[in-house]
Amino acid sequence: MEDSAKSAAAQVVAGLQALIRDAIPSARDIRFAGLERAAGGLSRENWSLDASWVDEGGTHSHRLMLMRDAAGTLLSTDRMREFALLQALDGAALPAPRAWWIDPDGRRLGAPSLVMDRMPGTCDYLVLNGERPLGQRLELARGFLGLMADIHAVDWRARGLDRVLGTPKGKPSLAELAHWEAEYRRVKLEPHPELDFVLAWMRRSAPEAEAIVLVHGDFKPGNALLDGGRISAKLDWETAHLGDPLEDLGWVTNPVRKREHQIPGDWEREQIVAAYRQRTGRRVDEAALRWWNVFSIWKLAVIQLTAVNEFVAGRYDRVFQTPTWLYRPMFQLMERSA
Amino acid sequence: MRPTVEEQLLGTCRILEQVVAPCVGDAYARTMLDGLVANLRMLTAALPAVPGFLQDDNRATAALLAQLQPAVAPDLAAAMDTALQSAEPQATHLAALEARNRELRELLSQALGGTELTPALREAVLAHMASRAARSPMRYVSTAPSPPKAS
Repeated sequence: MEDSAKSAAAQVVAGLQALIRDAIPSARDIRFAGLERAAGGLSRENWSLDASWVDEGGTHSHRLMLMRDAAGTLLSTDRMREFALLQALDGAALPAPRAWWIDPDGRRLGAPSLVMDRMPGTCDYLVLNGERPLGQRLELARGFLGLMADIHAVDWRARGLDRVLGTPKGKPSLAELAHWEAEYRRVKLEPHPELDFVLAWMRRSAPEAEAIVLVHGDFKPGNALLDGGRISAKLDWETAHLGDPLEDLGWVTNPVRKREHQIPGDWEREQIVAAYRQRTGRRVDEAALRWWNVFSIWKLAVIQLTAVNEFVAGRYDRVFQTPTWLYRPMFQLMERSA
Repeated sequence: MRPTVEEQLLGTCRILEQVVAPCVGDAYARTMLDGLVANLRMLTAALPAVPGFLQDDNRATAALLAQLQPAVAPDLAAAMDTALQSAEPQATHLAALEARNRELRELLSQALGGTELTPALREAVLAHMASRAARSPMRYVSTAPSPPKAS
């Protein structure tokens, strides 16, 4: 392990010990094994480890995952909000990890951090177009769609998610657009007339929502774990919010991320929408879904501009460019709506 | 001038890949290194095209602004007028070309952020933007994270 990596690991160990002692004052013999930072994770550092300790209740051991805000991040999200959401989802029929502890201001770990159960399985963000037989991939694709529908079916009022996440005032489409426009204004380093042109179109044509549901906000195989042929975990809830179900559906049917979400000829936009309609009984207005497709691509462009900003500021280690490759798909979708 | 800029950049990539990378054991650092080398290769090809791209784009953007000028608010039209009367920088002056590009694109942003355009203007705007995106010399080079490990 290089020196900087060793020093980061030492900080994680010391911080986590302090965090456990804060939560369980009687904890002693706190031990960690297998501490490792995963190479993935564009927005946060992901550290996996096994922890054990002894307290008044006996000996405990847990497989844990520590998510620590990176110095440079692509998503400005609130760790406290995510922690409260995961706690509110505890016991729901969703494969969401149990959240254990939080360091909201980074007092213990140097940056805001969240500790949760490490769920079984591995991540394969291109699994739908990987080497598994078509039948298995289709089964997984239906499984992902079913999981999305399950998230949208969460009784958010009963679980108090409105208190945790807030409810959108007016159209959820405009609320999300306002959120991401503020992010765009914050991170852009130069004029982007292409994005302003699309933004003006989205403002003029924002759709009403058919329902208000729990939206994951970054629904993709890359945010899930697979254990054999089963989806064992849905991760990365930091962008979850109450909003329009078509937001998640628009994300998985947008044309620029087909390799992650679609299987050519067998699981494309038409099949995905039909399956979602059948599963949820929702109407799914085509024009509204197209708007959310445009929004998804525009949001992706803003996330890439965030990466550009963070790289230039010296806080992010990957080089991103102005996302010119995203412009044409947005224009084509807008033209189809004209 | 030998080694040329291109030779130096490609040589740097070779040394990073053949000498440095095999010694990097940390998965995160190795993924970052692979990404940086891939980006250096992209830059090697893109760098010579940047001044020409900016010069062409400044001309095209100025022409589009002239088309849009009658459709925008008077104060923006006046700002466009001033910008369009300025001389184009020399192709050898990269910083001036970039500053001019920012100035013209800021005006274009303002012109497009408001009311809906006529179909003809909209078509001209879309054609300009699609063409610019296709010609942009810089490209994001994606590198996948290191293979996942079983939990």
